[in-house]
Amino acid sequence: MEFAIETNGLTKRFGNVIAVDSVDLRVKRGEIYGFLGLNGAGKTTTIRALLGMIRPSEGNVQVLEQVVGPNGRGPWAKVGHLVENPSAYPELSVRENLDIARRLHRIENQSVVNEIIERLGIASYADRKAGTLSTGNLQRLGLARALLHDPELLLLDEPANGLDPAGVVEIRELLRDLSQKQGVTVFMSSHILTEVDRLATRIGIIHKGKLIEELDADKLERLRAKYLLIKAHNVNAARNALKSAGYTILSSHDNEIRLNDLRAVAAPDEVAQVLVRAGVPPTHLAVEQENLEDHFLRLTSQ
Amino acid sequence: MSNFSSALWAEMLKMFRSKVPLFTAIGFSMAPLAGGLFMIILKDPEAAKSLGLITTKAQLLTGTADWPSFMGFMAQAVAAGSMILFSIITIWVFGREFSDHTVKELLALPTSREAIIAAKFIVLSIWSLVITLLIFGEGLIVGILVVIPGWSIDLLQTSLVDILGGAALTLPLMSFVALLASSGRGYMPAFGWTILTLFMANLSAILVWGDWFPWAIPGLFSGVAGPRTETLGTHSYILLLITSIIGIVATFWWWRSADQTR
Repeated sequence: MEFAIETNGLTKRFGNVIAVDSVDLRVKRGEIYGFLGLNGAGKTTTIRALLGMIRPSEGNVQVLEQVVGPNGRGPWAKVGHLVENPSAYPELSVRENLDIARRLHRIENQSVVNEIIERLGIASYADRKAGTLSTGNLQRLGLARALLHDPELLLLDEPANGLDPAGVVEIRELLRDLSQKQGVTVFMSSHILTEVDRLATRIGIIHKGKLIEELDADKLERLRAKYLLIKAHNVNAARNALKSAGYTILSSHDNEIRLNDLRAVAAPDEVAQVLVRAGVPPTHLAVEQENLEDHFLRLTSQ
Repeated sequence: MSNFSSALWAEMLKMFRSKVPLFTAIGFSMAPLAGGLFMIILKDPEAAKSLGLITTKAQLLTGTADWPSFMGFMAQAVAAGSMILFSIITIWVFGREFSDHTVKELLALPTSREAIIAAKFIVLSIWSLVITLLIFGEGLIVGILVVIPGWSIDLLQTSLVDILGGAALTLPLMSFVALLASSGRGYMPAFGWTILTLFMANLSAILVWGDWFPWAIPGLFSGVAGPRTETLGTHSYILLLITSIIGIVATFWWWRSADQTR
């Protein structure tokens, strides 16, 4: 199997702090891999190790089947990256910043700069100094720099940071398009779980430096717990009626009750009958499924 | 487009777009103007008396109002000033990548880190030497305008060697400033280093072992403590060379090997 990213026992220690602990990542070519974790979980350290910016304390990193580092060695002509907050030379224009990136990627064709400016929707800011850009436009400049050289692999740390809602959708579609039409592998960390949920084909969850779960988006769909959400005017009476009928209450607070036993989820109509007979008809009855955020919080709180 | 030419082009663009070259040139241009002022004071003793301390300082520095004294002052001013101004240039060239958080854009590229560092050293050297030459030219104009005696072609050549030599000996020592601006990830540690070396250079010159302290050598070369044939020996130049090589190698090693967490 050809992996775009492969790490074996990747560990990084800073003094006594273990930032990344024996992480074995396998990212297939063409995948959109969502890398989730709380602040300080080790996401950025992992991305920096993938880019050869930090030396692993133990283990090794291969990117596009080439061993990364030491001494900055790696397949960087085929890799685009955006690490942490976007940055640019403030006294240089957007175009000049991208022209520097073009030169350092040793691309002769000057038109790539204009093309990427158009593609990322920053044409009206092209001759403006980068120091005057809004956070969102600076993020677009960072993404433009990452995409300038048509990379095979994109390593993106919080790509939706600072973007407005329309920008988030635009970048999501751009990344999906790159993955589906050009086979670009995308490895992205994000705090915006709904974004990862919508975009990623595979998800890894890192917690306290350890990769605690890695799963396909399809599997996540199956793993997500389902529950029946009930609302009623008299929640206490409804809860007593359901208990009497043998249902297990998952949670009950304010004006809602959640049931997660299979009998309730499979036959909500029977639950409705029980409540009606008890004189507490439901005002709301729906089968719901936990989202990625719930799943993530459940895992990381353990 | 080669590895090095790409990096050099990028560094040149950053330099041309910055205001720092202009500010350093303006700062350095004060030396010939101050020299010219001293010459005017020394030419007119009556006016000099009314200026009190400035007169005393002017006599202490130059002695007489003529071209040899003026160019001697210029060489010493450039030697002292270049340690600070070249440091500012070096700190900006290296330290700005950390203060602007742009360093992460220089590390995972087809253009090697070595090429980028070499380009930075080349750009700061060109920039520093161009400013030195501009100051030398400005000094000649100031000298002509204040009308002082003692001009000769020999003096022109000797002065050029004194001034450019002092600058050329100062430049390699900037490798330590580059190292500290990089490893200190910003401006302050490198500024601290510059002040420390200036202080130590003065101290070592006073204690008459400046010939063994690399950071005192450019000043001694300019003739601040007498003719350089008496204050410096071959060992001084070898020591400066070895020190500079250590600084350059350490800077390259740091960029190749250190963890980049910003």
